[in-house]
This record gives sequence, C-alpha cells and structure tokens, in this order.
Amino acid sequence: MHLRETVGYRVIREWMAAGGREPFAFQETTWQHILDGRSGLVNAPTGCGKTYSVFLGALIDFINLHPDTYKTKSANGLQLLWITPLRALAKDIGRAMEEVIRETGMSWRVGIRNGDTELSERQKQKRRMPEVLITTPESLHLLLAQKDYPGLFRSLKILAVDEWHELLGSKRGVQVELAVSRIVGIASSHKPQVASGGEEDAMVKDISVWGISATIGNLDEAKEVLLSPLNASAAPAAGVIVRAQIDKPIDVESILPDEIENYPWAGHLGLKLIHKVIPILLESRTTLIFINTRGMSETWYQSLLSACPDLAGAIALHHGSIDMGLRTWVEEALHEGKLKAVVCTASLDLGVDFRPVETVIQVGSPKGVARFLQRAGRSGHQPGQVSKIWFLPTHSLELVEAAALKSAIRINFIESRTPMTMCFDVLIQYLSTLAISDGFFPDDILREVRSTYCFCDLSEDEWNNILYFITEGGAALGQYDEFRKVEVTETGLYKINSRRIAMRHRLHIGTIVSDTMLKVKFISGGYVGVIEEYFISRLSPGDVFTLAGRRLEFVMIKDMTALVRKSAARKSIVPSWNGGRMPLSANLGLMLRRKLNEASALVSRRSGKQAADIELEALKPLFALQAGLSHVPVEDELLIEQIETRDGFHLFVYPFEGRLVHEAMAALLSFRISRITAISFSFAMNDYGFELLSDQPIPVDDSNVYELFACGDLSGDIQRSVNSAEMARRKFRDIAVIGGLIFQGYPGEFKKARHLQSSASLLFNVFSEYDPHNLLIRQAYNEVMAQQMEEERLRNMLERIQKGRIVLRFPQQLTPFCFPLKVDSMREDLSSEKLEDRVRKMQAQLNRI
Amino acid sequence: MQPPVPFHFKEQHLWLSADRCIFWEEEQALIVSDLHFGKTGHFRKHGIAVPQAVYREDLQRLLMQIQYFRPRQLLIAGDLFHSRENKELELFLKWRKDFAGLAIRLIKGNHDILHEDWYEAAEIMISPDKWQAGDFLFMHDIGSSAGETDSGLYAFTGHIHPGIRINGMGKQSLQFPCFYFGASHALLPAFGRFTGMVSIEPGGDDHVFAIVKDKVMQFQ
Repeated sequence: MHLRETVGYRVIREWMAAGGREPFAFQETTWQHILDGRSGLVNAPTGCGKTYSVFLGALIDFINLHPDTYKTKSANGLQLLWITPLRALAKDIGRAMEEVIRETGMSWRVGIRNGDTELSERQKQKRRMPEVLITTPESLHLLLAQKDYPGLFRSLKILAVDEWHELLGSKRGVQVELAVSRIVGIASSHKPQVASGGEEDAMVKDISVWGISATIGNLDEAKEVLLSPLNASAAPAAGVIVRAQIDKPIDVESILPDEIENYPWAGHLGLKLIHKVIPILLESRTTLIFINTRGMSETWYQSLLSACPDLAGAIALHHGSIDMGLRTWVEEALHEGKLKAVVCTASLDLGVDFRPVETVIQVGSPKGVARFLQRAGRSGHQPGQVSKIWFLPTHSLELVEAAALKSAIRINFIESRTPMTMCFDVLIQYLSTLAISDGFFPDDILREVRSTYCFCDLSEDEWNNILYFITEGGAALGQYDEFRKVEVTETGLYKINSRRIAMRHRLHIGTIVSDTMLKVKFISGGYVGVIEEYFISRLSPGDVFTLAGRRLEFVMIKDMTALVRKSAARKSIVPSWNGGRMPLSANLGLMLRRKLNEASALVSRRSGKQAADIELEALKPLFALQAGLSHVPVEDELLIEQIETRDGFHLFVYPFEGRLVHEAMAALLSFRISRITAISFSFAMNDYGFELLSDQPIPVDDSNVYELFACGDLSGDIQRSVNSAEMARRKFRDIAVIGGLIFQGYPGEFKKARHLQSSASLLFNVFSEYDPHNLLIRQAYNEVMAQQMEEERLRNMLERIQKGRIVLRFPQQLTPFCFPLKVDSMREDLSSEKLEDRVRKMQAQLNRI
Repeated sequence: MQPPVPFHFKEQHLWLSADRCIFWEEEQALIVSDLHFGKTGHFRKHGIAVPQAVYREDLQRLLMQIQYFRPRQLLIAGDLFHSRENKELELFLKWRKDFAGLAIRLIKGNHDILHEDWYEAAEIMISPDKWQAGDFLFMHDIGSSAGETDSGLYAFTGHIHPGIRINGMGKQSLQFPCFYFGASHALLPAFGRFTGMVSIEPGGDDHVFAIVKDKVMQFQ
C-alpha cells in the first residue's frame, strides 16, 4: 500500500494543510513503515514533530482500515500505547494528540495513566480503554499487575517509546524491555498460528514497536534493544531507523575571565564571573542557568540576587528537592515568559519546551557532549532560531572543555548509552508483578524474558535460581521456615496469594530509588520541599541551611518532617546532596586530550601564533606555566607528576577519563604498588586525573611504570583492591529496594511495618556471609565493575597507555594540573596492611590529633 | 577465635568474648543482649528472603559460649526475640530443652512482645524492666529509664547496638560492634548478627572494646 494513495494520508495531509503545515520527509517515511506493519526507531530532536511521526501514522493506519466509519467508530480498544519517561510530558503530548483527533473529527480518546492519574479516571479506563494511553514505564508495570491485564492489550497495534535514549542504559529501560516482551507475547499468543514455511517479513507482525530517540552514539544498538522481543522468533531482522535530517545551529561561547592568572585554579563555583553573567541575563528574554549540583544552584541563586537585587522576583530556582508545587509554578512562569532567568539543575534537562528561553548558560563541566547539546537545545525553540549556550568555567583548566565541546559538536561525536544487562533485581520485581495479577507459567515467561536484550543470555541455572528465590526464599531451615511470597499452584501457575504482600509490592513497583527524604515545613505551617535525611541528621537545632533559595533555621524533626523557621542569619550551610556525580564521558575525555595536543603545540612553538580556539588562547599563560614546571601531555602521552610536599609524597596521574575510571585506576595502582612494598595511600580524584598520597616515597619510576599500567589480570586486581566490597555494598541499596528486600518509606509516611525494617548495608553483610552466591549480591559486584569501575573504559585506557608514552616528571612545586586534585578533598583509602594493624595505626593517628 | 579478654571492672571479673557476650565470673552468668531471634523468620514470612542461616549460626554461637563458660545463668538485657511468634521460635524451644539446667532471665526489651505464657513454657524468667545482681543492674534501654541509675548501681544495657567508628587520615572510616563501659552504665553489643549498629561517641574516661573480626581490641 503506497502511503500517498491512501485515504488516511489524504485526511491527515488536509488537516496539516489547514494549519499551514506540511509533513516532514521523515514523518512520511515513518508513516509508510507503519502502514507496512514494520517496527523501528525514529531519530529526531525534540520540538520538530517527532510525536506526529508515530502518532499520525497510527491515525492514518486506522483511517485506512475504516475509510467510511473512521470518524464515528469509537470504543475500539487500545490502539496506541505511548510510553514516556517523564510524567510532565504526558499532558502536553495528550493535548497535542487530542487536538488532531478533534480537528479530524475522529472519536478516539486519549488517556493518561501515571502516578497522578486519579482513581475515578483509572476506573473509567478499566471499563473502557481509551484508544491512546500515555504512560510511564512504572505505570505500565502497574497495569501488568492488574487482574486480566492481557485483555487491555489485545487490540493494541502500536507500542511507542518516546525519548528512548533517556530510558536506554537505565533499569527503567529494562522495565520497558520486559513490558514489551510481555505485550508482544500477548499479541502472538492469541493470534492464529501461521503454518510454517511462509517466508514472511519477520518484522511484520500484528503489533509494531517504535522507539523515538534523540541522537546518541549507538542508535543501531538502541533499536536492537527495543525491538529484541519482536525478533526472537526469527533471525534478527533489522527493523528500520528513520532519521530526521534536521540540523539545528548551535552557538557556543565561553565566558572568559579577564585575567586567567588570577582565576581560581580549583574548586570554585564560577561565582567570580557573576558580573559577566548579569549582562547576558539582562539582554536575553529568558535564560536557563544550568548548575551541576543542587547545592551549587542554591548558592548561585543567592549570589545572583545579591549581585543584582533588581532581579528579585524575576529569577527562580528549580531543582529536585524543591516542592513539586513550586517547581510547577516555575515551569508555568517559564512558559508564560514571566521569568528573566531560572537557576536549575538536571531537573530541567528534560521536559516540555519553554519557548521564551533564548539563552542557556552552562556553569562548570557538562560532563558529556550529549548533555551539553541537550541543554543548548533548550534555547531557541522556534524553527530557524539558533540555540545559544554560554560556557562558564568554574576553574581555569575547565575552559579547555569548552574548546573540546565545540570540536565534538562539529564532528557530531555524541556519547553512546550502554544498555544494562542481567538486572536480576528488575526481573525479580517483574515476576512478582506478574504473580500478583494473573500469575505466570515459567516456561512461557522464560521464553519472553530471554527474548529481551537484557536477559538474552539468562541461563537455565540463573532462571531456576530466581524462581527458587521468589518461591522458597533460597536455602532455609526446612520445617522451621515459613517463607511465603510466590506460590506454585497444582497447575504449575506461579502466583502471589497474600493480599498484604501484593499490596506492598504494588507500592514498590519501579526502579528509581531515592534516598530517604524528609519533608521540610515551617513550624508555623507551610511546605518548603524535601531533603535527604542524612543531611538533616547532621544538623543541630539552631543551624541555618539553605533550601529552595530560603535561609532556614532547623528546629526539630517530628513525624518524618523537619520543622524549620525563617532565618535572618547571613551565613548558612548549603546542603551537599548525594546526587549522582556524573563522570566525564569517554567522548569528551578524548576530545580534551586532543585539545591538549593543540595546547602543547601552542606553548612549545613560542611562535606567538594564535590558537584556533579563543579558550586555548586565553589559557596560554597557564599552559606555559605547566610546561615550565612539568609538561603538557599530547594525545598519546600519559603525564605522571611526583611531588613532595609537607603533606607527604604525591603521585599525580592525568588520564582524562572521568572520576570513576580514575577512582578505579587509583585503587588498582595502589594495589599494584603495594605489592612492591608495604605502603598505605590516601587518594583523590577528579575528571582529569587522580592523586596517590603517602607518607613514604612512592616507588614508581621508568623501570616499572609500564608494568604498573599494564592490563595484566585487570579483573582480578580490581577485585583484590579492597574497595570493591564497599562499592558493592553501596550498589546493593538500589538492588535490594528494586528486588523487594527493602521497603522504602515515603516522605512523611509512618513506617508501618516497623519490624520489617533493615538497612541495605545490613542485608548486604548477611547475604555476603550466609548466601554469598545470591544473584543479587553477584549483580551488585557486576554493577560495580560495569558502572562504578567502568571496567571496559578502564581496559581501553590501559591499552591506550601501553601504545603511547608515559612521561614522568618531578616538579619542585604544585602545577596547574595537579592543583585541582590537591584541593579536592575526597579521599579513599587502600592499604596492604592487615586490618588490625590498620586500626591500630588509625587509632594512633587519632590520638595525635 | 581469640580467647575471651579479661576485664577487671568494679572489683568484678568480666570476660569479654568476640562472640558478643560477657561472662561474669563471680555470678557465673553469661550476659547477652539484643539477640533478635526469629527476625529472619519474621522477614521471610513477609516475603523477604533473608538467609535463615544467620539465625542457625546465632543459636550455634550461643551454644558454643554456654559450653565454653558453663554459666549457671543466662542474663539477657532485652530483645531476645524480634517480633511475634513464628516457627523459628520452635527451633529455639528445641534448643532450650538441651539446656534444661540453665537459668535464663530476660529483662524485657521493646521487641519482647510475646505472651507471658510463652516465656513460662520456655522456662524463661521475666523481669519487666530491670534486674539487680550484686552491684549491677540489668535493663534494656538506658535512654528510657533516665535517673534509674541514681541508686548507685551500675547498669548493663542493650538496645542501641553500639558500634565504634574509627576515623583515620583522609576519609578512612571503619565501624565495629563494641562493648562500652561508661561512668554509670555499660552498653552491650547486639548478639544477633542480623542487626544494625549505631555509632557511639565515648567520653575520655570511658572504656571501649571493639570487636574486630574475631578479636576483642581495647580502644580506650
């Protein structure tokens, strides 16, 4: 069927023409694929009709099937399931869809199903499913937890996953994979069996799956992951990728310090440049100022107000710990163009477009090319406009990143999102979900689970282990055990019968695990926001802290609520939230090393020639100093500086691979050095390098340095470096919550099941000691290797170093490169000494203080 | 396992065991606290698959300690059981029968919510909130009985599951369960291994013994 010859196409085309619009080529291509029953991935940036690509395709298909009755035909059952990562997007998308339906005179309904959906609306949906349901991965799993859920999906034609790049690489993505496998499973189970031998296009099915994704480095893989359940029955047929060839110009400019020599070398928030920010704010209609952490954003907000009091009332603060109502107000005010500027964190990375935003300022490293582009894209939304982004360095060397980002954008060097595999915690949760609705037969579900990308390598053993875990609770004391969760009926159906367990499970469906949060309220009434419990627990009554731009005096904790009163104090503590500190991406790291090539040439030539990048030119004095004291490494060099100070013997290494790889490398290197001689280190790391510090000389020289940086027994050496257990313990928290071992309290909610409380750390100890082969413990270690240690990246780095040259230098004083590290306080410890000795030594230190 | 560490305190001979209990020589009493028996069973009954081996080992450890010290009595400073009755407690009853001659006294803790009859059947003597032996007073939670120690008696208490945090250079930090002996009262480590820990901050004159793996180490 050729798209342009169909009734549906004509109807939609006419509707668009009435609004003065014309379909983009990528939209038409998608529509054709949908008519042909194919599945695939649409690659398009936000704000250019990506929703229409799939949604209008669904309408055209429907109209074609019902050319005479398409307007009046109602109660068709679910036709299009739309999964979005963000609740906030649902309303806008729904509104846009309803508009089309209304204007084309159709009778489809659009429903939203997420945590905000009211009970009455849910009941309505249960009685009569709307044709389009917009939902989140979590709410979709809640649908799978409903009795008779397969009936909801029988009529489904298209399953669309919006912003797939956001979900891919997270456990929410795994949730989506599992849901897709179930829905595809339902679709194929009620279909009459086609006689074998027919060589049909494997991707032509009753149900098609479409992902919509921004550009990432691994689009093919992204598509493969999402469509994997469709491909299970046949040879991995392709599925299509439709690329929107829409280039949006981006203008990147750095905010340069006037005198680079006087700009801080380390650890500042960029506030010294605030006087240069204010004119930018004043000149632009609306500006978003992206700050990397919530704590820093509070400080920036305060500082902007003191630097330019006129802005009071015209600027706002937006981050994850601010009251939802207040955030919504900020977002609406942004929409209406009432705000001059909003200081925000990643909380505004995603979400609906704010048309008045003309300018974006990125303070500090964006850590990755994709993120920088995404933030830039939040400005200049009207077609044909330029996205304008300023880069404001928080320390001198960070300026190199601006130059690196520009180059990366030029060659479209965007990060990949690595899909997660073997998430046993999510699988356990999913199986329990199926067990509370209709129950499941293991053989059927195993087939589906293995059809996902995440679990395609799931072994028989692992599967049986998981079933054993949810039915028997692992090994137990026979007659003295009363474990009860999933029960197996005589017919072999796996089912949860306990209503209490089912209820608790429903409350915990999801994979986003947050810290225990406390509400913050004024003692006189009035809600301020939420804050991590551990921060409050370190405060004493009378301490003043900042939240949501207000100075608050802590009074007391009552019923999971921190009571505060307003404070006029000048000084306050800015909370350091435990938010995930993203490491510098591999792509940006590579671009940085390349920029250092240019920097090195710049200072060695002494030709007085100008650098291509204004940022490098500005940094020339700094690089000259670095070259004078030590060395500026080129791309294939690894610089190591050994410096002796009052604090002890420092070893600085600069791989530019991001803090996580550096953390792992620091542990690895300490471990390897400690095999040469008994020595203890403390270490520090940032995105550019790491430091080992010891009270005795560190035996690293030309004779052994290549060996220390060899791959060797990398996995083994990492395991043997003492921190992996501690890291696994931290990873285990999320796993234990997702896997149903811990019940999280909600802010302000009393913990009802008091005797069922335990900490992840305690569970980790108990499992490690008494059930060390438990799959969830194994997963914790695997996650440490894959995410915390970034083992693959670490390995690539070591291989790169082996191929290149290691430059050892012994500067007489601290260098511009090492200074940020020296200032960084985060220190971890590795020691080859025995535990008891270490305790004695630490105690001795304590006593000296 | 290191042999117990002698600690001469208030003219009494105490033996501190790395298995988280104290043998009081003069009274031939084994002192324990916060065993939380039945906790794994309670979790498992509610669908949380905590390995039950912790409980089995806790019982075994207690058995070993009793065989080693051969006490006349077992003094429990509260939280013998974690929650309501469950099958794990049947295993305890079976265990109890093997020590018919051993007197067991439980000073009730906040978790000890079983019916009186149950304790009676298990031949456990109950003290609702405190029990005096010699110059020592045993109770569960020192926090909820402020002023109680005005009597001049020295209190042995549990409840908080004390741990001692050791900070070293940089951000090194380790935490170990500990025995704490302050001016007016002592804190006992939780005997049960399926229990958490709360850091204490001892004063300069207090005595603290940390349990580092299978050794008792005096810290101050």
